[in-house]
Amino acid sequence: MKIIDVDVVVIGGGPAGLAAAIEAKKQGTKKVMIIERDTSLGGILQQCIHDGFGLHRFGKQLSGCEYADNYIEELNTYDIEVAYDTIVVEILKDKTVYAMNKTDGIIEIHPKAIILAMGCRERTRSQAFIWGTRPSGVLTAGTVQRYINIEGYLPGKKAVILGSGDIGLIMARRMTLEGIEVLGVYELMDSPGGLSRNIAQCLVDYDIKMHLSTTVIKTHGNSKLTGVTVAKVDSNRNVIKGTEEYIECDLLVLAVGLIPENELSNQLELDIDPLTRGPIVDDQFMTSMEGVFAAGNVVTVFDLVDYVSLTGEIAGAGAAKYLKNELDLKQEYLPIKSGENVSFVVPQKIRLNNLSEELPLYFRVRNKQEKTEVGVFELENKIYKKRHRVVLPPEMIVEKISTKLIGEINTPLVVSVKEV
Amino acid sequence: MIKNKVINILQNTSDISHYEIGVSVSKEKIVTLTGIVEEWKDVVNIGHLVANVKGVKNVVNDITSKDVNIKEVNNDIEIKATLDKGVKEECDVVIIGAGISGCSIARSLSKYNLNIIVLEKNGDIGEEATKANNGNIHPGFLAKPGTLKAKLNLRGNKLYTQLSKDLDFELKRPGSLVVFHNESDVKKFKVLKFLKKTGLGYFIKSFRQYMKTPGLKWLSAEEVKQKEPNLRGNPLGGFLMTTMGIVEPFEVCYALAENAIANGATFKLNTKVLDIRKTNGAVNEVITNNSVISCETVINCAGVYADEIAKMVDDKFYTIHPRRGAIAIIDKNRKGFLNTPSGVLGRSDRSHNSKGGGASVTPEGNLLWGPTAVETHDKEDKSVEASDLDYILNLGQGVTDQVKKNEIITFFSGIRAADYKEDFIIEASKKVRGFIHVAGIQSPGLAAAPAVGEMVEKIVLKQNRLITKKLNYISTRKRTPIFRDLSRELQDELIKENPNYGRVICRCELITEGEIIDAVNAPIPATSIDAVKRRSRAGMGRCQGGFCGPRVLEIIAKELNIPHTEVTLKGGDSYVLHKESRS
Ligand SMILES: Cc1cc2nc3c(=O)[nH]c(=O)nc-3n(C[C@H](O)[C@H](O)[C@H](O)COP(=O)(O)OP(=O)(O)OC[C@H]3O[C@@H](n4cnc5c(N)ncnc54)[C@H](O)[C@@H]3O)c2cc1C
Ligand SMILES: Cc1cc2nc3c(=O)[nH]c(=O)nc-3n(C[C@H](O)[C@H](O)[C@H](O)COP(=O)(O)OP(=O)(O)OC[C@H]3O[C@@H](n4cnc5c(N)ncnc54)[C@H](O)[C@@H]3O)c2cc1C
Repeated sequence: MKIIDVDVVVIGGGPAGLAAAIEAKKQGTKKVMIIERDTSLGGILQQCIHDGFGLHRFGKQLSGCEYADNYIEELNTYDIEVAYDTIVVEILKDKTVYAMNKTDGIIEIHPKAIILAMGCRERTRSQAFIWGTRPSGVLTAGTVQRYINIEGYLPGKKAVILGSGDIGLIMARRMTLEGIEVLGVYELMDSPGGLSRNIAQCLVDYDIKMHLSTTVIKTHGNSKLTGVTVAKVDSNRNVIKGTEEYIECDLLVLAVGLIPENELSNQLELDIDPLTRGPIVDDQFMTSMEGVFAAGNVVTVFDLVDYVSLTGEIAGAGAAKYLKNELDLKQEYLPIKSGENVSFVVPQKIRLNNLSEELPLYFRVRNKQEKTEVGVFELENKIYKKRHRVVLPPEMIVEKISTKLIGEINTPLVVSVKEV
Repeated sequence: MIKNKVINILQNTSDISHYEIGVSVSKEKIVTLTGIVEEWKDVVNIGHLVANVKGVKNVVNDITSKDVNIKEVNNDIEIKATLDKGVKEECDVVIIGAGISGCSIARSLSKYNLNIIVLEKNGDIGEEATKANNGNIHPGFLAKPGTLKAKLNLRGNKLYTQLSKDLDFELKRPGSLVVFHNESDVKKFKVLKFLKKTGLGYFIKSFRQYMKTPGLKWLSAEEVKQKEPNLRGNPLGGFLMTTMGIVEPFEVCYALAENAIANGATFKLNTKVLDIRKTNGAVNEVITNNSVISCETVINCAGVYADEIAKMVDDKFYTIHPRRGAIAIIDKNRKGFLNTPSGVLGRSDRSHNSKGGGASVTPEGNLLWGPTAVETHDKEDKSVEASDLDYILNLGQGVTDQVKKNEIITFFSGIRAADYKEDFIIEASKKVRGFIHVAGIQSPGLAAAPAVGEMVEKIVLKQNRLITKKLNYISTRKRTPIFRDLSRELQDELIKENPNYGRVICRCELITEGEIIDAVNAPIPATSIDAVKRRSRAGMGRCQGGFCGPRVLEIIAKELNIPHTEVTLKGGDSYVLHKESRS
């Protein structure tokens, strides 16, 4: 068994892991190692050949691959070891990391700090509770994306898409361009799950219809999918009898949501936030275990990769500071709570002594609201406010709070979104 | 006599008395029913009513209902195609159906100098009821006293211990716990204990099965709490059947088949029996879509299609009415939350004819809820409906209310092959020499399987006393490496020996490329994504193949040297990919 000592091990070489590794190195960490189970870096971005990435970060529209390449090029200028085709299978509570690959067999790694950057996974058919038979031709959007963009195969001729998340929308366009007939996008909720720009560019431009408050209730066909039954739902998401409609198709694409990939976090018994379904992190993106950091979609599912990279940088810098003993690990945490119309906030807690000048807060609203104001409160004291013309659940909000204002009184911060 | 009784009961049962039902009774006391009714459930009700009439040996229920449309099967064209092709084969014994019954029988008979061919219409073995059940090796307690299934259940349960050692499959015996919340149930179980201890139960017919069941224990409220602290509420006591076992059913089926193959049996997949020909009152030839096989013995273990196979030799004296059962599997996060398959008294609907159900556990530690029991006319109806899940949730949440609906990672259905007597039918045909019925093998067909094999072995030996034992019979079998079960050191060694074990394909269940290649090249090769899943567990975890599906597909294509577009999810035309995009 191969045994390795490192300062920082980054698990996952997607945008979060890349940014984290680079930043940790920049901040003076000696031995940084990325472990990536794929044969190349870039994570999910490798299958995102459409553009729309990097608008915040690089000020221009890049494809997912180009966005990743920018980081990979930068990474290559540093002495950072990358283990490709290598998967982390276990992390012990003493931070021993077990990974494996074909050439080295089992690798035992002893890091001083760990950065979790494993990304997220897609929800499945059962999690969407679709009844009926279990034929072939029912695939998640990410799998369809992989088949078409990476492997070069079309998984069907006539597709129905369930769920209006971004990947579903992007795949509606992609499939249409590839000659698959997209018969419609069906969304259980009464508002779309994806970004407005994706609805415009991927559906409207291609005459693909979105059916809100409508869902796929049943699949047909014992062997190959022959069709699906869709039906309208009421405000409690119960099927309205009599609205069932049969649609003939041979492909059902599920874009019913993403969940942080947290097998390893669970092994470590990290505190998990039931709202984000990822580990609870502090201002350094450190988890409930000292020296274990998390970044990107592992923490919560972001809609823009730009933010993913940002969290990677924070975690990378945090790990470097941790190794240099620059972090105060004793100070009481100040919690950050979700107030009115806010479904979650990341980070969930902060230590005043560790804050730099600005504290970015990542959060989503529960419901669409127009003419609103985001407010950050310490009790009655509003320490930050910002107006938004409209806020939507699919679009994550990021506010950077000047930290000078925080901590006047020692109470939790509350983030609220209210109409003004 | 019987006919009058049957007519009488049909005329005196409300709901059905208005139907005109034709009744005829053979001298073997087989009742054949004809007529048309409104709903399928009436067909089934009438069948059961008649089967329960004293003296009736079984029921052929040819009643049709207006709400369903059952297509007549006609194999004439396919039969002709085979006859035209002219491929001929020969053997001693043909076994129809490679479910757990057929595979167990094949193994039992493979001890002898017999040339055995097992025919299976699907692309893999065990793809019907055998893959879709609770995996419970029932203690035999609940089976109706005096039935064949009660007897074989007890025997099968006992045989499993040695079988699991011989064939190297996982068998756990966590026992099965029934808890109660009512004082009256506490009393009932006290009486049971008294009857058991004193042996008095033997005098009461309905208690006889229970008297024969070994390893029963009575638990106090505290003992229940200690054993299973996560059960809902505060049960007043419990009843533990310590002999209850759990297995991965496909694994057992596969192990049996592999051992039979090691002893010379041949398995022919994608081979459907279309007809059986007799000469002079004895079986002579089996016609499939591929060839004509002449043989002396035909064993019918065709599951839901057993009645149709029996009809081919004009000895259909039972009708199989399919009963769908749905099951839900809970995420492995809950591993250890419950260790004993448990049920709550009074929770499951005991009016139907299948095992009670509740919260079971798989050998891997996933919770398994269900099953339901829904009569259906369609032998291929493997759907799961919303109503199934409501029932399952009710069962499961009766046992523990902490596990939530969103923790379910998958649900699926299997079909029980029930006859109207609701018992196993295992016997040599009285009409056709060399034909053996193994029908009505519903629950506990898995638990009973080793005993079914044993029983059929005796029948075959009785028919042909000249059969001799093989000298070089191999009674054991070893499975291929299971990477996740090895220590890190052994894993490391295995990868050094064969680097394919160093790449993880299924991240949820930690299944390596080496194991998938093993599955594709196994003695019964896995040629579809689901077949790989059954042998290796790749895709059984929480992402249900979302991640590993494309990778498994690629390995299958490579190992079998076929285009990606020809790889299927589950055989037949269940292709995953339609065509190349860049062509
Ligand atoms: C299918 C899909 C399509 C998307 N499409 C878009 C889009 O069109 N536009 C957009 O802005 N955003 C899109 N996103 C979101 C965006 O790509 C993500 O926000 C971003 O890629 C997340 O980066 P990450 O580094 O957190 O995770 P990922 O990019 O998922 O990277 C995680 C990396 O970790 C590796 N890994 C995981 N577990 C292990 C382990 N145990 N051992 C070793 N390595 C491991 C994985 O192989 C992967 O390379 C998409 C996301 C998905 C899932
Ligand atoms: C939901 C559910 C839960 C259950 N739980 C349990 C349990 O916990 N414990 C237990 O002991 N039992 C249980 N059972 C019962 C058990 O699964 C069955 O009794 C057992 O699997 C039957 O095996 P078999 O080989 O007889 O039938 P099957 O597995 O159905 O096999 C019959 C085979 O015959 C083949 N075949 C049919 N027609 C032809 C033809 N014309 N030519 C060639 N091949 C043909 C079929 O393709 C099939 O592979 C359960 C059943 C269900 C449905």
